[in-house]
Amino acid sequence: MKKNSPGISRRKILLGALNGTGLLLLSGCENIFNRLHQNQSMLTVLESVEGLNRRFLRLLTGRNKLAQEFSEKDISRYFKPNGNPPPFTMEYVLDATNGWPFWRLQVAGMVKQPVDLSLQDLRAMPARTQITRHDCVEGWSAIAKWKGVPLTEISRRVEPEASARYVVFYCMDTDARGSHYYESVDLHDANHPQTILAYEMNDQPLPIEHGAPLRLRVETQLGYKMAKYIHRIEYVASVKEIGSGRGGYWEDQGYEWYAGI
Amino acid sequence: MMGSLVYRHKRVTRITHWVNALALLILFMSGLQIFNAYPALHWGHKAEPDEAFFSIYASDETGVIKGYTQLFGWRVETTGFLGVQESDLGPFPRAFPSWLTIPGYFWLAGGRRWHFFFAWIFVLNGLLYFAYSLARGHLRQYFFTPRDTRRLLPMVLYYLRLRRESPQEGDYNPLQKLAYTGVFFFFTPLIILSGFAMSPQLNVAFNWLPAMFGGRQSARAFHFILTFLFFLFTFGHIIMVATTGIINNMRSMVTGWYAVKATSPEPEPAPPQPEAAPPEPAPEATETIPEAKIEAAPSSPQREEPSHEEK
Repeated sequence: MKKNSPGISRRKILLGALNGTGLLLLSGCENIFNRLHQNQSMLTVLESVEGLNRRFLRLLTGRNKLAQEFSEKDISRYFKPNGNPPPFTMEYVLDATNGWPFWRLQVAGMVKQPVDLSLQDLRAMPARTQITRHDCVEGWSAIAKWKGVPLTEISRRVEPEASARYVVFYCMDTDARGSHYYESVDLHDANHPQTILAYEMNDQPLPIEHGAPLRLRVETQLGYKMAKYIHRIEYVASVKEIGSGRGGYWEDQGYEWYAGI
Repeated sequence: MMGSLVYRHKRVTRITHWVNALALLILFMSGLQIFNAYPALHWGHKAEPDEAFFSIYASDETGVIKGYTQLFGWRVETTGFLGVQESDLGPFPRAFPSWLTIPGYFWLAGGRRWHFFFAWIFVLNGLLYFAYSLARGHLRQYFFTPRDTRRLLPMVLYYLRLRRESPQEGDYNPLQKLAYTGVFFFFTPLIILSGFAMSPQLNVAFNWLPAMFGGRQSARAFHFILTFLFFLFTFGHIIMVATTGIINNMRSMVTGWYAVKATSPEPEPAPPQPEAAPPEPAPEATETIPEAKIEAAPSSPQREEPSHEEK
């Protein structure tokens, strides 16, 4: 070093070169990473940590611990209604404007007592009210007050068979191509005390844009798990045969089934 | 190049260094992809759209689309870099440009896959490194202790050429110790915890985790700001590497071997200089030599080899 302490000009050139290679490296990276991302075995490797995340985070939290509940004054002024537009079919609009006389929640699948429940039936069941934070996969959060039937109450009513492992929620809304939204949770989250089928938001009937008449709240996971416009629930042993087999609308497009992170 | 070669970096150090470099690069670029899905930062638990203290956005003004970056009350136009990116098909809205994100197109799910995979790599690799350096006694050499505090100012003065002798004792100078200790033992745990604080699963049972940052959105802001502290640290590190003999530095982190000047075999046992030293200090030169034996083998103080490997 003693022999050639770099002069200003040399240092400048060096920095310029470094900067240049840095940018070049990054745009080269873009291509490398894009190519890698389109490689199926690379994707399989990347996706392999999903199970690890689920086991690790659930191990840390254990069962039945509650998500933070807030007070009335924390409720968001604005709660973004994300996802598909509401299912504006003639049937849906007529039902919505008349207080849901025709809508039924069908609960079936691997259960001993399948049921069809009207909104009145659901309102007559034991309810839970919670002011919780909704975390969207995009990064934003919003707080609202939800009231609904705990999913455990539904399970108690229908008596799932021992081999049932997932609860699948079928929705009325569709994307631009006509695919129906659906979601699934396993029994770990289905049995969580804050997992509810909500029919009220901020003391009002669930608004159309937030999934009227019934939506799911799973406080242990991200927003896309919380299906809106639900009309059918199915207890199943596997989600492989449903949709593209990955357990949900967004999951079929590459998002994680386990959305606890 | 003349002088002798010392074995400066052990194999574990070199491997974990490069794994860490790759993991940080991927975490940075995939993190920006994730940020692009909602390019705004908030304080507290929730994100009221009109209360973002930082945002990157595109705005259509009289038919011309422009990119803006906003921080509190300030706003600067950043078209071409932040907010709006140029492409063959014309300008399009995008917070961070595609060449800074993984994947290089808008795909949040893909960004998350890369981010969570390399988060595991980053943490496990870091733990391996710490376990190794702790066992080898290397950690002790650069861990900043209260004893180093009084040497901080003299070190700054030395770098500013206002002081002749370096106050350094041992292999690392107090500023290096402060930087390494701060990044390894303060910023690294914080960036991991702020990442965990965004997990809805961990919000169950660990309500204090988002709360310790002031809320889930604050945790997200912390995660983002810490990212740029890491970026600055890495940038400074690369500048140092580049300006203090890039070939020699790179060789030592790839092969382990670092060349020291044969004419001044040891910088430490310098003769006790009188205060009035001759007026040719050339501090630039002595700056890098003390770092030469970062990883001296514990048995022999310095494994020196004759200069047989010169190029």
